[in-house]
Amino acid sequence: MTAITADRLGKTFTTRVRPSGRFSAARALFKPELRQVEAVKGVSFEVEEGELVAFLGPNGAGKSTTIKMLMGILQPSEGAARVLGLDPTRDRVELSRYVGAVFGQKSQLWFHLPPSDSFRLLGAIYEIDEDDRKWREAELVERFGLAPYMDVPVRKLSLGERIRCEIAASLLPSPLVLFLDEPTIGLDIVAKREIRQLLAEAARIDDTTIFLTSHDMGDIEKVCKRAIIIHHGEVVIDESMKDLRHRALALKYVGVRYALPVNLDLPGLSPVKRTALAASYEVDTRKHSLAEVVRALASRGELEDITIEDEPLENVIASIYATKSGTEAQAFGSQRGKREAGSGELLHA
Amino acid sequence: MSERIAYPGNFAGSMFTYALFVFIFSRVWAGAYAGTTEIAGYTMSMAVWYFIIAEIPSFGFGRFFWTLSRDMKSGQVAYLLARPYDFIWYNFAEKLGGSLIEAGIILVEGLAVGFALIGLPPAIASQYPVGFASFALETARLGFLIVSLLLAGALNYFLQMAIAMTAFWLEENEAFYWIFQKFALVVGTLIPIEFLPEKAARIAVWTPFPYLSYAPARIAVAFSLAEAWSLVARQALWVVLALALAKVVFASGSRRLSVNGG
Repeated sequence: MTAITADRLGKTFTTRVRPSGRFSAARALFKPELRQVEAVKGVSFEVEEGELVAFLGPNGAGKSTTIKMLMGILQPSEGAARVLGLDPTRDRVELSRYVGAVFGQKSQLWFHLPPSDSFRLLGAIYEIDEDDRKWREAELVERFGLAPYMDVPVRKLSLGERIRCEIAASLLPSPLVLFLDEPTIGLDIVAKREIRQLLAEAARIDDTTIFLTSHDMGDIEKVCKRAIIIHHGEVVIDESMKDLRHRALALKYVGVRYALPVNLDLPGLSPVKRTALAASYEVDTRKHSLAEVVRALASRGELEDITIEDEPLENVIASIYATKSGTEAQAFGSQRGKREAGSGELLHA
Repeated sequence: MSERIAYPGNFAGSMFTYALFVFIFSRVWAGAYAGTTEIAGYTMSMAVWYFIIAEIPSFGFGRFFWTLSRDMKSGQVAYLLARPYDFIWYNFAEKLGGSLIEAGIILVEGLAVGFALIGLPPAIASQYPVGFASFALETARLGFLIVSLLLAGALNYFLQMAIAMTAFWLEENEAFYWIFQKFALVVGTLIPIEFLPEKAARIAVWTPFPYLSYAPARIAVAFSLAEAWSLVARQALWVVLALALAKVVFASGSRRLSVNGG
């Protein structure tokens, strides 16, 4: 069953332009200059129940605005959304009973209260039966390892501890859909890893649909099974993480170290980094066969070490982000996905 | 309430300022009453006690606007809307609930400072020692005073909420609150409305301002059952009207919510 549907969803904000020049501020009082900013331009996608979706895009792409429209917080300027069969704009309060949200940059817990009080308060707000609330809270406290923090005011918790509490609190009412907006922002590697594990576990145990925005590729790779990339307010890529990873596999990084100095230049392929004895090459496997590159490198001299690494997924996404328009990004995405027949004849040296 | 008492030191500033204001005004009234025993039906003791009670809503319930407005401007309101509650009533419980402690502390302080400066409140002083009839009347006065203070708090909240929510349309809405505050101060807080020119006083009773501080202060210093009922009923009516206004502003404004970025 479909949990989330966005049908040509769009949002345009009207902002005032700061006037310049003499008396312009006074003139602007009577005749303000307004500018329309299209934050989201008719995005369409569907998310099935229980899916783990990464919603990606550079800053200002329209991710948070889309999430807010899906939660009924913002009214779309065009198009429509359905979440769990409800219209978020019209049924915001009803929808909020079944939808949880974690915003990494904003705390939803009561800042001066310990999490235990916030859990009690949330239990009352979501009208959860007291026994059910206690049972659920105990389960979440154990799963998220919150026991040491439950009686410490939120303001005294570290960021990692707070985010754990935030996610646990958002799961208290057993939401069917969980929106996560950059939940690991500012966290160290260990805390990030823990949060990712907990999110993946939450999705598995509670069968929650997860809709995650993050700039951290680790979050996306470890938690999500599908990626929707939004750029310039438009959906430019919507495919499984597996397919997205394949795009990255087109580029390989080959590193070599020789026992004695050799000529490191291969015909048609120059090292991106080099020293007297070592070099690393960026190999586009659509142009050069990896086996031929390795053979060519081995033929140059006595190899002490050789490494072959995939291009980080981050680079693929960064390339898409670097495009200047939604259409360009779409074109770039599909171009990156295509596998061309390799022509490695230049490497035979 | 638990959030509000997290920093007990926060109350110290309000308590000090309130005591200072009461002291200054008791001196102002001492000057004003030099050579006269009554102004517009108020003795000096009544005028000082009036100020003591009238300032309680200002100190206890006077700052909802700032927190509400801050939530609106910072975009925090977007996150507050993501929960299954009535936004107006949730904030009412949170903001007014928290303020009750502050208002209670100011009330106790006011009674202590007033007693130290000018003695017992007028009615008790005139009927001392207390008999059963006056005891019943004093109990009624205290009951009406507390109800009236709570209604003043509710009216303050709904009006400030309505003003704060103009932030849905305007980037800068503090001027509205500034005007509201000044009207509230002049119409019934600094001086009883009987001190105003007759025409102004007649108009003032049709505005919500006297019900923010005049009503409880009047009940405290010139109590009669009939007038107390009338004042409390008018306060309740204004609370309903202010609630309706806040609901309308919210319903219309929340559709215009514009929050960029995460």
